[in-house]
Amino acid sequence: MRNLLNFIIRYSTGFVFALFVLLSCIMLAGRDAYHTSVILTSANSVSGGLYETSSNITGYFNLRNINERLQKSNAQLENENLNLRNEIASLKAALSDTADVNVPKRFDYILASVINNSSDRPRNYFTINRGRLDGIMPGMGVVDQSGIVGIVNVAGPHTARIISVINETQKFSAKLKDTPFVGTLTWKGRDPSIAYLEDVPRHATFHIGDTVVTSGYSTAFPAGLSVGTIVGRIRASDDNFYVLKVNLASDFKALSTVRIIKDIYKNELDSLVQYDIKAE
Amino acid sequence: MIKTVLSYFLMFVLLILVQVLVFNHIALFSIAIAFIFIYFIISLPLSLSTNLLLLLSFATGFIVDVFSDTPGVNSLSCTILAILKRPVFYAYVPRDDKTKVMNPTIMTIGWAAYSKYLFTMCAIYSLLVFSIEYFSFADVKDILIMSLGATLFTFIVNLALGCIFDRKG
Repeated sequence: MRNLLNFIIRYSTGFVFALFVLLSCIMLAGRDAYHTSVILTSANSVSGGLYETSSNITGYFNLRNINERLQKSNAQLENENLNLRNEIASLKAALSDTADVNVPKRFDYILASVINNSSDRPRNYFTINRGRLDGIMPGMGVVDQSGIVGIVNVAGPHTARIISVINETQKFSAKLKDTPFVGTLTWKGRDPSIAYLEDVPRHATFHIGDTVVTSGYSTAFPAGLSVGTIVGRIRASDDNFYVLKVNLASDFKALSTVRIIKDIYKNELDSLVQYDIKAE
Repeated sequence: MIKTVLSYFLMFVLLILVQVLVFNHIALFSIAIAFIFIYFIISLPLSLSTNLLLLLSFATGFIVDVFSDTPGVNSLSCTILAILKRPVFYAYVPRDDKTKVMNPTIMTIGWAAYSKYLFTMCAIYSLLVFSIEYFSFADVKDILIMSLGATLFTFIVNLALGCIFDRKG
């Protein structure tokens, strides 16, 4: 026993070093796990509070640009709204006896501010100033005024951490607008404005400049939200699929206000999936 | 003694705050990143036991990791940097009774030796961080380019810190 103790004391530096290396490696190994402890992320109360304070000061810097983009998207939406109203009016005139079809509301939005953001790493995350107490749950989709930006990963009581679209470990389902062709949106490399739409079937037709939108195959995003525009095609290793280069709609270097999408049907859909698994 | 501990503690808090609030958001030419918190590890006195140095370094890396959502990356790099601190220091400074209890500053070891010591530490750290972070993603050329950018930026910022803290005492 004494020899053992002597041994440990004599080589204590080695043991301490090995312990810390081991702890670090455990953290490294668990970093891509979907369920991470809140304390180990920027969504914990100390760092959340610090980032909130700092963003209260720096949040004003980009307002002019953001306002301009909001005005643009507002104008576009107003136009769209007007067209749809006209269309509905003409359809109603044609089919006067059709009962009012009220589609129940499925998605709800929660507004939040981005209080910490990274865009120059392979695994990018950002932190928002809303958390569990505001109704944020892991798995919810996040959009800003231009398009989708990420998925909620960890929700603390007052803050939450979002996996950014520009994170190499996260994939999103997306499709070419007005077509049935679905692909997987992945991001790699260093450019925060370029992502890749993989697994697009070879028979898909598209043009440079076409819009890529969400597919609606998950409960995170409703179908048809803007993702970006096609800027080119790159050679894929598999001959049956295209890989398209997509210019992302959102500016990930200057995220400010985002909306978190709450799917009211989520529990119902999840229980259906559960039921399916049980039935098998 | 208490005064020294307190001043190191203040430096620790200040460096981490500036790192997570300012330098984490700066990438010069969109590749060069500066790690300013390693100045804490670099400037700790050599009289400190290696175990304590390892503990403080791991804690530094861990806190930075939590704030910047990079679990393990900075913890591991800081731990390895701490174990290499003494060998790197004595590669440029003769090992004798005087240097054994020294604080590594510009004043105590001179510009030439300090710059060499600082540059080596920055280079080791940058290389460690990018190798760990990009381990499964990028190729060796990318890692080297990013490490070089980070080394230069980190070196310049840390040299400035060295001058500032040196003058204060």
